[in-house]
Amino acid sequence: MSTNKIRTVTDTFACVRCGLTVAAAGPDGTRRNHCPSCLHSLHVLDRAEGGPSECRSRMTPISIAVLRSGDWMIIHRCTRCGELTSNPISGDDNQLILMRMAVRPLAQPPFPLETFGDL
Amino acid sequence: MPRRKPDPRRPQRRKDVRHGEPGDAFRCVGCRLDVPVLAPGTAHRNHCPHCLTSLHVDHRVPGDRRAGCRGRMAALSVSVRHDGEWLIIHHCQSCGGLSANRIAGDDNALALLRIAMRPLSDRRLPVNALLTL
Repeated sequence: MSTNKIRTVTDTFACVRCGLTVAAAGPDGTRRNHCPSCLHSLHVLDRAEGGPSECRSRMTPISIAVLRSGDWMIIHRCTRCGELTSNPISGDDNQLILMRMAVRPLAQPPFPLETFGDL
Repeated sequence: MPRRKPDPRRPQRRKDVRHGEPGDAFRCVGCRLDVPVLAPGTAHRNHCPHCLTSLHVDHRVPGDRRAGCRGRMAALSVSVRHDGEWLIIHHCQSCGGLSANRIAGDDNALALLRIAMRPLSDRRLPVNALLTL
């Protein structure tokens, strides 16, 4: 096993929000991009430029998107520059927070939902 | 229904320049509906009220017209602000960019609710998380 591969297996990072020390490799072997406990992320990749971002501030999860394939994505928004990114969820993400984000629009509807019961 | 916005927020920026659209309507790229520019409840009409499709023309500030993409942006998900206001997350079909836009007063409620229900209608719903409560 090469040192590079060992590094990806044993690498850890500390979450910027909750301080949890997280293994950088997810359960499926890919590299994580958010904390599995609080789902917050760090703005390190610049989507427009494709390279590393200079922002490096915290990104909060704002919503759940479902792709056509049925995979869930977390939409993150940077608290400093407002950039939006979407990242796939991993298997050990906090399911309570995922569900909380999924039902939050229905808890605060901008129109009464009673009329949809007739449909 | 009581209003859920107790404190007034910063008023929206007015459009001070019109970008090559002298008319008062535009045609939606998704459903070809003729949409009036003036929208109830918002100063910026940025998506079709019927199919919620948008066009990738603005870069960061609403109305700046600095994005050279001009691709079609489909509604991807719904997010909620702290004051209870819904935002539509649009996803550009040609460049993959994301943007968040406030809903307008005449948006199609059925289309909005369909997007909001999409995570909950998933078969792989994390039911275990709810059963442990």
